[in-house]
Amino acid sequence: MPTFRPGFAPPFDELREELDRLWTTLTAAPPLHGWGVRPAEGVFPAVNVRESDDAITIEAELPGLEASGVDITVAGDELVLKGSRPETCPAEAGASGAITGNGHGNGDTGGKPRVTWHRRERGTGAFERRIPLPVAVDAARVDARLVDGVLTITCPKAAECRPRKVEVRTA
Amino acid sequence: MVTHTQSAGATASRAEPSLTYQPNVDICDLGAEVLFVADIPGAHADGISVTFDDGVLDVQASVPVRDFSGRSVLQEYGIGGYRRSFRLGDGFDASQIAADYTKGVLTIHVPRLAAVRPRTVEVKAG
Repeated sequence: MPTFRPGFAPPFDELREELDRLWTTLTAAPPLHGWGVRPAEGVFPAVNVRESDDAITIEAELPGLEASGVDITVAGDELVLKGSRPETCPAEAGASGAITGNGHGNGDTGGKPRVTWHRRERGTGAFERRIPLPVAVDAARVDARLVDGVLTITCPKAAECRPRKVEVRTA
Repeated sequence: MVTHTQSAGATASRAEPSLTYQPNVDICDLGAEVLFVADIPGAHADGISVTFDDGVLDVQASVPVRDFSGRSVLQEYGIGGYRRSFRLGDGFDASQIAADYTKGVLTIHVPRLAAVRPRTVEVKAG
């Protein structure tokens, strides 16, 4: 006697199982770029946020910034990331003569070189990003590192938000 | 505010670091040289290749996998290598091209040949 399975009639049951399998595969896969939530135009920096049992980790790509130029504040249930990206071109940044690397500086123009931009994709100037935290964190223990333009902020979870194993006692 | 754009057409994820992005680039022409400034965060200098061949400047960089474990809550960008090429044409001194990588930014100095550099001509009074 066949086992009773609630659901649709056999052909639809198979279809449902196939859709379930497909859905499980899709949701278990690491999020691809196209599935992720892209920040709105002009929002900088883009961030990736991950959660482990002990901490929330936020990663942001901030090429060109010094560690001292990044300001991180944890306020309530959000983390605020502020800073400023410096000007790309040394001549425009007012650093006359700072062009280095091959001995060619200002050319034959005498003083400050005339600058022509062929492409400007990187963006400069002040930025501020507010990142909502999914759980309460221990603000006093937040740690941040900026290495090769990659900022990694580790926010340990508040004690009450960490998973806790409950010991079962005998009577 | 910063007007930052993600690399066009880029697709990558932590699980597939072999995918490749186009880095965002500023190109600044100073007359005597052209400056290429590319955002390549997470790379190391020894993993970056800059070549100039037949008038084409080619930049490639590999990015090591970073330790970023846990369940993904928000993913706004992917992680992978970088590659981008620029056709510059003639008039550049390939032997004097110099590049440096610091704080996730690659800066390439491409000097023009002396014969084609812009020059200001002084007008003398008769």
